Parts: sequence; structure tokens; C-alpha cells
Amino acid sequence: MTSLVSARGVTKRYGSVLAVDNVSFDIEKGRILGLFGPNGAGKTTLLKAVLGLTDCEGELSVLGYDPFRQRKALMRDICFIADVAVLPRWIRVSQLLDFVAATHPNFSISRAGDLLAETKVRKDARVRELSKGMVAQLHLSIVMATDARLLILDEPTLGLDIIFRKEFYANLLSDYFDGERTILVTTHQVEEIENILTDIMFIHDGRILLDSSMDALAGHYAELVTSGANAETARAMRPLHEREVFGKRVMTFEDVDRERLAGLGELRVPSVADLFVAKVKGATA
Amino acid sequence: MIRTQIALIKREIWEHRSIWVTPAAIAVVTILMAATGLAIGEGFRYAADMAIVGASNVGEIERRALLTGALSGVTFLFVFAMWVLTVFYCLDSLYAERKDKSILFWRSLPITDTETVFSKLVVALLAIPAATLVGIVVTQLANLVVMSIWVSGKGGSPGHLLWDFGALFDIWGATLIFLVTVPLWLSPFVGWFLFVSAFAKRSPLLVAFLPIVVVPMLERMILGTSYLAKAIFVRSAKMPLFGDISPEKLFDEERMALAAENVSLLSMIDIGRFLLSPSLWTGLVVCGLFTTAAIYVRRYRDES
Repeated sequence: MTSLVSARGVTKRYGSVLAVDNVSFDIEKGRILGLFGPNGAGKTTLLKAVLGLTDCEGELSVLGYDPFRQRKALMRDICFIADVAVLPRWIRVSQLLDFVAATHPNFSISRAGDLLAETKVRKDARVRELSKGMVAQLHLSIVMATDARLLILDEPTLGLDIIFRKEFYANLLSDYFDGERTILVTTHQVEEIENILTDIMFIHDGRILLDSSMDALAGHYAELVTSGANAETARAMRPLHEREVFGKRVMTFEDVDRERLAGLGELRVPSVADLFVAKVKGATA
Repeated sequence: MIRTQIALIKREIWEHRSIWVTPAAIAVVTILMAATGLAIGEGFRYAADMAIVGASNVGEIERRALLTGALSGVTFLFVFAMWVLTVFYCLDSLYAERKDKSILFWRSLPITDTETVFSKLVVALLAIPAATLVGIVVTQLANLVVMSIWVSGKGGSPGHLLWDFGALFDIWGATLIFLVTVPLWLSPFVGWFLFVSAFAKRSPLLVAFLPIVVVPMLERMILGTSYLAKAIFVRSAKMPLFGDISPEKLFDEERMALAAENVSLLSMIDIGRFLLSPSLWTGLVVCGLFTTAAIYVRRYRDES
């Protein structure tokens, strides 16, 4: 396996605040990794470090480069969408495409043109005249027309309606992801993307709470829906988190004896969102 | 590298349309004023009248001086506008991208911060003066046409009186040298404004001009000296481009006429003196230091 991103003891401080605290992980080629964390957990800081936008302590290698010191070389092979609002509002769509074509060796302007032709984005329009969704489509078209090895998406669909969001990820999967490329995505809308992920990572208070492939998740985590005396028995098995849904107790377990649990109620694989809550609450408790 | 630089400079011109709109607007207004008879001075009319009817002793030298004067008048308007434009351009160039948050997009492309900041310096020192030069030359040519029509109407010969290419190339040559050297001479301000643009959290105009006023005052109050005030004043007012121009040299009192060798603007320019002036080179070093600081700030500032 080839590691595209390799972090060892990565730490970032802002004054006395520890934004990223001694984090180590690897991202392999061809994966779609979802990075989740509550606000202020250190997600954005971590992404900035990966993108070479901020310096950090520890060892960090992205596509074999030191991201902070070899940023220009790195940016030829990385694309990122940080937020839908970052495209300059004054520029015309055609100017934007020309500019990227002139400065990015891996960008295909004809491919971008084809992708935009499928949208309502007119080439002579200025970005400020486009709706939020159209700006996102424009940005995505630029990114999809760029032959990059790693794509980083930080809340790419923030503020978009559900139709645009679904389309955004559908396009990404059908037109971009080919198993050779790697995608790192953060979003609060966990449930919308969990079915496209191959890996997930939870971050909280600057530390990694969970780093797992989606396949391995089912083997380690279980959710039990139970009630009454069975709930008491299950509780003794120390669930990560417990909540109430329609009068029933729902408990999330990590690395537990499934056969014992199976007799106590309905057993299922927790959704990423529920697991996220369980992990974060468990960490804070 | 070159391709990136050209794309970056084009980008600046797309974003800051005032770079060409301002000289174009001044050109249109002054040409309209000339066409409606507002811009060309009464002195010129009078002298031209005299020359046409052959009733005066207006000789070749005076005619050339009048032509040079009539055409070069607009230059000062353009140069003043150029300076205002450069100040606002520089202050906006690294501030606007932070304000509208597009900096993250620009930085997602394989372009170094050095390349980006350098392109802004090139625009301030070369592209804005180039647009100004085009504005000036176009305006002068249009004014020549307007004056030709007027002179013809009076029965004079514009070909002889106005279309004197010796004088025209003298004016254009001098204007070109002026527009290349003025930005170099004032480059420490350009560097300072770029730095403020990269650095200021808000109101870059205030952040840029307040120290220029306050720091020399503090120097005077605390140290009792005024080196900074002098440095700023000399830089703003005394550019060592022109040779020794004294009234005696310009005007020959015995003959009550212009002295012949001074009709040429080019002959007034002493490029050697300019290039050998230590102030030019210290100024360029200061500009380089501020520009480096601007690159450093764009590179290392963490916006979060």
C-alpha cells in the first residue's frame, strides 16, 4: 500500500491553544476518507497543515512532499475546495478558466467547458451573478477538470440545498473518482456522504478518536435497541453511549461480545452519525 | 514561470479595471474638452493666430515651445491620476483577496506567493505607467487632430505648424522616460503600500498614511531630528531626473526670447544623474525589503 498522506505526531498550537494534538495517521491511495469533528475540533487546522497553508510540529508528508515548504509542487497534484464562497466574485467564468489553464499544468480547459455545458453556468457571467449552487458547480467543474492525485473538500456543500448537495457528490463519484484518485472530505452532513466513504476519521479536541475503514466499522461497533431488564444487563457491558428513542434504549458498543448482546435485543451497525455522537460524548464524559 | 507571470498580470488587469479605465476616461474627457475648445490655452490660440497670419515674430523655436507646451499640459493630469491609481491599486492588491476570502482559492493553485506579489509590483511599476503612456499619446494625437482642424479653419497649414515629428518624438521620448523613472523613484512608497495591503487587518489607507505623518512627528518630538520627514519630502518632491534648469537657461533676456537648446524636453532630462543617484538605489532597496515583507506576510499569515 502506498501512503499518500502520512502524519506522525503532528501538532499545531495557536498561542496556548492546542488545535491539533500529536496526531498520527495515514491515507492510502484510492480511498475516500471522511473527516468528522465538532466545531473547533481541529479539522480545518489539520487540513490547512496538509495543504501547506500552515506550519506544524511533527512529521507530515503529503504525496512525498513537505506541504509547507514545497507548496507549489504539491499544489500541482492537489485540488481543494475550502468553502463555496472562496471563488473571487469579480471574475468572469471564462477568465477564471483561462487563468487556471495558464497556471495549472494538469488542468484541461476543454474538459471544464464540457462539464460546465451540463450546468446553467454561463461563461460570460461573473461569479457574483451566480447562485451559491452554481458557484459550487463551477468550482467542482474546475476541480474535476484537474488531474490531481488528492482532492480535499472542506465543507464543500455548506449552504446548498439538498438537490445540489446530492448532485455534487453524485458527480464527484461518477465523473471524478476512479480508484486511482484519493478524496479527503469534511462535512457536518455526515449521513449524506457516509455511503460513499471507504474510511472515516473522527477528531475531537485536536485528537483522533477513531480512524477506521468503513468495512472494519461493522466488526468493531454495534448498536443495540433494547428495553426493560435487558437494558440493565446491556448497560453492565459498558456501552460507549446510550440514548432513548421512542421509549427504547439505544446503546452503542465497541469491541463487545456480539453473541451476548444478540440475546438482549435488536442488534445493528450504528450509522456514522450515531457513532460520531457516541464517540464524542464518550470522550467528553 | 513567464506564462504564470503573464496570467497573473492579466488577472490584475481584469480585477482592477481602473488601471485602463482611468486613463481612458481622462483621455475621453480631455479630448472632448479640446474638441469643444475648452482645453487649449488662450496663449496658444493667440500665438497660432499670429503665426498663421504671419504678423508676429513667432519663430521656429517659439512655435516648437508652444506646441510642446500645448501638448504636454495633459501629461500632468495623467501623471497625477497615475499616482492616485497606483496608491489605491497597491493598497487593494493584497487586501481585497483576504477581505473576499478568495485568497484560499488563489493559494490552491500551483503559484508561489513570491510570483503573486511580484506580479502586483510589476503592475504598479510597469503596467499602470504603460496604460498612462498610451492615454497620454492617444490624447496628444487627438488634440493634434483637433488643433489641425482649427488651424486649417483659420487658413493655416497644420502640416507645417503642428505635425512636427521632431517635436512629437521629443515629447513622447521624454514622457516615456518620465513614466519609467517616476515609479522607480517612488518605489519605496509602492513597496510600503504593498506591505500594508498584505498586513493591515482593516482600513489599509489609514494604516498606510498614518505612519507617514505620525512617525516623523514622533522623531521630531523624541529625538529632536527630522531625517524621516526630510527623506519623505525629498522623495516626494525632488527627483534627480532633470538637469540644471535655471530661468536664465530657459529664457534669453537679451533677445527677449526662449533660449534655443531648451525647447527639447529630452535635453532637460539627465538620465545619467538619475541612475547615479544613490537615493534611487537606496529607494529600490527599501522597495525590495517591503515587498519581501509583503511576500512573507502572505506566506506565513494564518488567517484563522
